[in-house]
Amino acid sequence: MITNYFYIAVILPFIGFLFNGLLGSRIKNEKIIGWIGSGVVGIAFLIAVFSFIEVISLPVGERKIIIPLFKWIAVERLDISFSYLIDPLSLVMALVVTGVGFLIHIYSIGYMHGDKGFWRFFAYLNLFIFMMMNLILADNFVLMFLGWEGVGLCSYLLIGFWYDRKFDKSTTADAAKKAFIVNRVGDFGFLLGMFLIYKTFESLNFEEVFVLATKIPLNEVTITLITLFLFIGATGKSAQIPLYVWLPDAMAGPTPVSALIHAATMVTAGVYMVSRCSVLFVQSEVTMMIVAVVGAFTAIFAASMGLVQNDIKKILAYSTISQLGYMFLASGVGAFSAAIFHLTTHAFFKALLFLGAGSVIHAMHEEQNIKNMGGLKTYLPTTYKTFLVASLAIAGIPPLSGFFSKDEILWETYASGYYVLYLIGLITALMTAFYVFRLFNLTFEGKPRFPSHIHPHESPKVMTVPLIILAILSAIGGFIGIPEVFSGEKGNLFKNWLHPIYEPAETYLFHVNLHSHATEILLMIISVLAGVAGILMARHFYLKSIKPIDWAISKFKKLYNVLFNKYYVDEIYDLLIVTPIVKVSEKFLWKINDTLLIDGFINGTAEIINDLAKVIRKVQTGIVQFYALIMIFGITLIIFLLLI
Amino acid sequence: MIPLKYYLILSAAFFSIGIIGVLTRRNAIIIFMCIELMLNAVNLTLVSFSSFFGDSSGQIFVFFVMAVAAAEAAVGLAIIIALFRNKLTINVDEVNIFKW
Amino acid sequence: MENNSIQNILESLNYFTPELALMLTFFVLLLVDLFFRKSKYLLPAISLVGFIVSGYLLVYTPDVKGFLFSTGMTNIGLYVIDPFSFFFKILILLAMIYTILFSLSSKEINEAGGNRGEYYVLLSSFALGMFLLTSTIDLLLMYLSFELVSLSSYILAGFTRNVKRSAEASLKYIIFGAVASGAMLYGISILYGLTGTTNLYLINFYLSNQNIESLPLVIAGLLIIGGIGFKISMAPFHFWTPDVYEGAPITITAVLSVASKAAGFALLIRSLKIMFIDYTATNLQSSAWAILSQFKWNELIAGLAVLTMTLGNLAALWQSNLKRMLAYSSIAHAGYMLTGFVILDNQGIMAILIYFFIYLFMNLGAFFVVMLIADKLGSEEMEDYTGLGYKAPFLGVSLTIFLISLTGIPPTAGFVAKLYLFGALIKAKWIWLAVIGVLNSVISLYYYLKVVKNMFLRESEIEYSHNLGHGNLLITLSLLIPTLLFGIYFKPIIEFAEQSVRIFGF
Repeated sequence: MITNYFYIAVILPFIGFLFNGLLGSRIKNEKIIGWIGSGVVGIAFLIAVFSFIEVISLPVGERKIIIPLFKWIAVERLDISFSYLIDPLSLVMALVVTGVGFLIHIYSIGYMHGDKGFWRFFAYLNLFIFMMMNLILADNFVLMFLGWEGVGLCSYLLIGFWYDRKFDKSTTADAAKKAFIVNRVGDFGFLLGMFLIYKTFESLNFEEVFVLATKIPLNEVTITLITLFLFIGATGKSAQIPLYVWLPDAMAGPTPVSALIHAATMVTAGVYMVSRCSVLFVQSEVTMMIVAVVGAFTAIFAASMGLVQNDIKKILAYSTISQLGYMFLASGVGAFSAAIFHLTTHAFFKALLFLGAGSVIHAMHEEQNIKNMGGLKTYLPTTYKTFLVASLAIAGIPPLSGFFSKDEILWETYASGYYVLYLIGLITALMTAFYVFRLFNLTFEGKPRFPSHIHPHESPKVMTVPLIILAILSAIGGFIGIPEVFSGEKGNLFKNWLHPIYEPAETYLFHVNLHSHATEILLMIISVLAGVAGILMARHFYLKSIKPIDWAISKFKKLYNVLFNKYYVDEIYDLLIVTPIVKVSEKFLWKINDTLLIDGFINGTAEIINDLAKVIRKVQTGIVQFYALIMIFGITLIIFLLLI
Repeated sequence: MIPLKYYLILSAAFFSIGIIGVLTRRNAIIIFMCIELMLNAVNLTLVSFSSFFGDSSGQIFVFFVMAVAAAEAAVGLAIIIALFRNKLTINVDEVNIFKW
Repeated sequence: MENNSIQNILESLNYFTPELALMLTFFVLLLVDLFFRKSKYLLPAISLVGFIVSGYLLVYTPDVKGFLFSTGMTNIGLYVIDPFSFFFKILILLAMIYTILFSLSSKEINEAGGNRGEYYVLLSSFALGMFLLTSTIDLLLMYLSFELVSLSSYILAGFTRNVKRSAEASLKYIIFGAVASGAMLYGISILYGLTGTTNLYLINFYLSNQNIESLPLVIAGLLIIGGIGFKISMAPFHFWTPDVYEGAPITITAVLSVASKAAGFALLIRSLKIMFIDYTATNLQSSAWAILSQFKWNELIAGLAVLTMTLGNLAALWQSNLKRMLAYSSIAHAGYMLTGFVILDNQGIMAILIYFFIYLFMNLGAFFVVMLIADKLGSEEMEDYTGLGYKAPFLGVSLTIFLISLTGIPPTAGFVAKLYLFGALIKAKWIWLAVIGVLNSVISLYYYLKVVKNMFLRESEIEYSHNLGHGNLLITLSLLIPTLLFGIYFKPIIEFAEQSVRIFGF
């Protein structure tokens, strides 16, 4: 079985990393570097596809294959191995990561053409894929954490890839640092959660922990703490309130990076983790509630900020945060498969949006402000068409993929009785459609607003082909999860596929589905209407006449400013957290604690040791008879000591 | 017949003289002679034990010790010659480039 | 009866083939050296082949049935072959092969003049001696192989005889070594007098069945430990180490610091364990020192271990010569490993084995890089290493990794070694010893990183460009990769060590 060799799909990107990282600077041939970098991911994708075909032919009960590679750390009860878990959930993730990853690799060959760090870029990307595969295929928390930290590292490296460029008011290096530090806060939560899991279950292996979790009676407080800590980890990596602030800044990296890491794959790691630990999460009502609320609020909060931004990539960044919010909302109401479904479709259309944006930026010579674009549809026909597909998908227009996944989330939210959250989700859907088409209209439609010396040109084939493939996926991707209402007896294929994973969790959820199919269809129509309304509003405000929006802005100047300045969250964090920490660090920790106390103590000890050493080494006089004397003397002394 | 104790005391005395010689003499060749003395003290112990037990292995041991002592002396003298060529001295307390 | 013992000896030879291969290598080298003196690669090639053949025979030796070379009831044998000796023999062979490879590119050796043949001849006799040391169970053979190792190494240490410091190292080594082995021999003779036998197992039998006077036993035991302590540079028998290591050619320093120390440890563990264990005790932990129970031997060894590592580390702090610093550091490492000897149960011995295996790679690696740089710069002074990290980045980074591993910082293998060692200590309730060990590692960080600081954080104007040959690059990599790999994937060494703690008869 190919599935048994799945580890090759993990190792290949690492080989690519070693190749490009060690030899890349000498090869200098972009073709070789790029195609090897993409090729390894492509082969990994093929392996994933074949494994998928194999696994799908297995009976439902046997769709769980563990590939043990080797024991890593084994001390008493602690037993951590490098072994990979292939099951429906990790397969979906692996397909998304390698598939979308492969397309983005190919795209990067064109996008990064001529960059002096071309080899470095591909080395990092390969390393990222390797780490991400470890994250999603791990069969224990420690290996998952290794991948988790690894992708964080790659994210840091890639955000700061153009370390010599300016970004916003500071540099890309600052953006990278911000991402890293904010992530560390989340990682700390993840670590605490892991410690608590080990303390409670005496194991860190998924299988063992999850089986035990259903068998032994758990303390309410313990399980709530465990899941909350894990969720803090997820908010860091998946950019949720309150730790979302790093993601907009992460746009400092090259656009393919934003597409791959900060839209399609890495940021969804939190969703994946929550989904993987669904058995733990459902046992704490408090945590589930918090997850749902945080998700919903992040969704609307980020969407509202996206309404007024002018940087093409920033809008997409806020959109990503908002869509991730949807996924957490779904997880919080117990609809884990809906979350993963949205994760999948989102990977398609958001990657496409970013890559399209990259194509635009490429054509506009690094211009990112949509106010300075317009009318690009004649210059960039392919980009325009694919971008339109993605925009319609994210706006939730049937039958594109976004419609099915988003609608499932809204429906599940409604069905589980969170009516307020449903309303928030609905409003967010409206806003989403609005800001995406604002972006779309300002970029592609209307008259050109850029200076005449710029002659936009369509990107090369190597970039447009991935766009087309992704557009097809965005369009039809939703059909894997057609809701029961339409598909009838077969049910929701995607949901059924993931069902074995969530079976243990579902016993804890008391889903009494009181709502009829009629309600479901009605809600569907409402959300489609919301999407269409958003599109039309955007069309009206930004294409037909610009006046109403100017009027609205002047009328609600304050609100606009609040939104435009992202609710001043960065400033508030700065004031409340960063400045106090810096001040305390400087005034107390550094100048008093560190310099006086610790340094004093350490240096004092070191000096004593140093002085001691100065004396002691004089024993080595250089005269061999003295050495012999000490030896004889030593033996005599020991004999006396032993006899006393 | 002389008791075993006497042999042992004699050899212990030889051994001590040998050690004191090694520790106090400056001339490398005399140091080697003192080392020979130590080894021969051991030989005396071995032989006397061997005859006391009526067991031959102690005496066999002595033969090997003698052979090793000869080899050690040969190597030692060669090293002393090499040293003399370089430093024109065989006083061990003058051989102290390496210290501390 | 006579027939029987001859038959036994002949049969024993079947199991003795790795050693026979080394002997053959020795004679072939001696002969070839007579006729083909000029050839540069012939002698090392023959040595390499000899070592590899010996390794092959070692791996494919049939499992042993009993003692080797037994000649009747009173002499039950001289030699055993067990997983424990197998482990150390593999270690020694690896170290020897690396030494030959190092010697090929060492300027010191190749320009020493005189007779390069002796060098390889002596290396093979050195290896043979160490092989015998790891397997011997008889005091006579122990003494002989001990002297074989010592005599070979005395000459090797002074091999570059035109160099003043080499001759000095050699002289100090032989005087100190002769006194130590004389003292050990005296201990052996007393032990023979007490028990009337030279076989370790029989000694154990007499000791546990008869009342033995304690004073002579203490003196004998201590003198033997002292003799072996000289080989593994345990304080206060370590004084020769820095001087000899600094003066000897660097290839010899490297092999002394790894292989001969390994052989010494093998001998120490085997002889003390066999002689002083109480077979009747059920609890392994308490049985280890049972026969010497009237004294707290393990506390004595613990004290000596602390003394060894502390002296080594403290003296290393002020060294400006890298070779001498590494000499002191190797004393400190002997101290760490001795702490495993304090426990002397399977856990402790396993920790020592793991430590040695890792130590082999990181220490040889450090010495090799120092050698390459010294060949180019003509100096081992730390001052001359300033800014080297940028002029020879590969060597600089490699040396840094080796030194970090020697300190014991993850993700290098050195961390794993220390983890298992201190873990075993804590498990055996020797917590204070583990704490001192960790504190000592902290001290060692200072002098190891001083080198790194010099290489990377300081600028210098010294012209330096290094064109490593492919060979040297490969050798460095072959040491570097295990140092890193075993820091992450250490299961195989653990398993190898687990299998190898079995000493014959246990």
